[in-house]
Amino acid sequence: MSIAAQARPFASARPRFRPRTRTTETGLLALVAVALVVGAASLGATQRVVAARTAGEALASLDFSPPDPTALAVYLGAVALVHVAFIVAGRRTDQVLLPAVAMLGGIGLLLMQRLPQDLVQQSFFGLVLDLGQLQLMWLLIAMVVIATLALAVRSDAWLRTYKYTWAAAGIGLLLLTFVFGSDVNGARLTLSIGPVSGQPSELLKVILVVFLAAYLSENRSLLAEESTRLGPLRLPPLPYLAPMGAMWAIALGIVVVQRDLGAALLFFAVFLALLYVATGRLSYVAGGLVLFLAGSFVLYHLFGHVAQRVDNWLDPWADPAGAGFQTVQALYAFARGGLLGVGLGAGLPTIGGHLPVPAVHTDYPLAALGEEMGLIGLLAVLGLYLVVVERGLRIASAAHDDFRSLLAAGLALVIGIQAFIIAAGNLKLIPLTGITLPFISYGGSSLLANAIVVGLLLALSDRGAGAPAPPRTRTGLLARLRGARS
Amino acid sequence: MDGFVLTLWLVRLLFLALLYLFLFAVARVLLRDLRAASRGPVELGRLVVVASPRGEPVPGAIFPLDAVTNIGRDVNNGIVVDDPFASSEHAVLTFRGRAWYVEDLASTNGTFVNGIPVQGIAEMGFGDELQVGEVRLRLDRGRP
Repeated sequence: MSIAAQARPFASARPRFRPRTRTTETGLLALVAVALVVGAASLGATQRVVAARTAGEALASLDFSPPDPTALAVYLGAVALVHVAFIVAGRRTDQVLLPAVAMLGGIGLLLMQRLPQDLVQQSFFGLVLDLGQLQLMWLLIAMVVIATLALAVRSDAWLRTYKYTWAAAGIGLLLLTFVFGSDVNGARLTLSIGPVSGQPSELLKVILVVFLAAYLSENRSLLAEESTRLGPLRLPPLPYLAPMGAMWAIALGIVVVQRDLGAALLFFAVFLALLYVATGRLSYVAGGLVLFLAGSFVLYHLFGHVAQRVDNWLDPWADPAGAGFQTVQALYAFARGGLLGVGLGAGLPTIGGHLPVPAVHTDYPLAALGEEMGLIGLLAVLGLYLVVVERGLRIASAAHDDFRSLLAAGLALVIGIQAFIIAAGNLKLIPLTGITLPFISYGGSSLLANAIVVGLLLALSDRGAGAPAPPRTRTGLLARLRGARS
Repeated sequence: MDGFVLTLWLVRLLFLALLYLFLFAVARVLLRDLRAASRGPVELGRLVVVASPRGEPVPGAIFPLDAVTNIGRDVNNGIVVDDPFASSEHAVLTFRGRAWYVEDLASTNGTFVNGIPVQGIAEMGFGDELQVGEVRLRLDRGRP
């Protein structure tokens, strides 16, 4: 009798939908709902007390109703609907990601409801929406994207087979932004097509991870090989180093052409992290860092916008009313917050009718959170990002094959690294680079791109329903070359 | 007013406490998950039969792999491939350190990884496809 007789064949012909309870997720989501309702109550009451104090009146009673109860109810209802959809579909997907993301999104929603509502206003078909309502709308769309991807993506063939198509689409998007994009604050980030406008670099980070995962999983063994010697350095075969050089050039190009330091830093950091995950060789990371430092040094001396950012970081007090204004005000905000914070709704006094930090809803949400929730609250928010990254890496370590493993690791690291870059920038640990705080910052592109990341992670976490990977027989020129080489 | 301030302060702290309660609950779930993963026998990898024209092994069958697994037509192999194009002792799969390697045991018709003939020994990544005779097998990560 052969071993094959004991082998398990694939489960066949089971119903497409078989509801399966998700008790962990239900419990965690209940905690999220309670925490957000208490947060909203605290915000509403504080705002009323502050308003009464400025008006010089005495309050008769304390009213704990949230500032915008319907918005909060709609948001929590949407999260609950996604949860119910997961239960009905019955896929064995991760149960921690949705609650963690729902908590981050909820904190973002509370923050946007708390900031002056006329910070952003957009009208859709005559309906004028302001900051809180817009953020709610984008959060709802993000929830739909998460649910759709987590339930519909059952095979990753469409991602891995067309990796060069994805890369071409990404570069096309970059070029489109360069040619047709409009400048905001000296950075060419926004692309408007008809009524729709967005920041392509947010979408680009997802495309980059997909391409890198496919490329590295296919050429992993070749990259780990050491056949080229350059003095004391031992390098992989030179043709396989080309993408590394190309990546470096693209990152520098984004800095020079788009003036988008944040995206460049994020892309390069994700690239190095994935290279390390795929090959396990620290020498690549060291080489990448040397390239990065060399590039930054040259850029600092050649381009004014880079030099300005770095000078601001080194000494914001050189020009506290001009270039260093935001940085200084953010530091004051963190200091006012202290350990426990001043309470949601109590911070951020306006200076002469203006906000102290103009970009508080996009670039500096952490400063506002640090002021109102204190160090304790800030650490909790950073802990939530840590949870998302841990789940992603766990999904990566349990994935079937190298592509899925690298994809999951890359997607999780994109969120983690982005949160780190902007948090460190807010805290003056590194020069500030204008990217968003995932799930908390205001912005449609950012929320959508991060929703795609979470949706894909959820889809990848289901080991049971994964269709077999397509055969990767190479018949092209590369295969023949490689066959002749080995 | 003092009573109000005190109540407000307590609600504020309650919000922060609830945030940490949530993180604590998540940490417990994560810890349980990691403990469950570290328990049980470690499966280094598995071979899934992708195509098998003669039905032996059965397409879709899953073979958990040991650190050294022999493949061939002979019944003494760990994985028996009953295929006229397979040699009796065809190839051997070994796990060394952190990667899988396949070695062709001087078989008549050769061993292929992703369609490329194996000369001597070749590294295999998870998701790569191994061909022995007319049987194609995919190397997958083991169950965590």
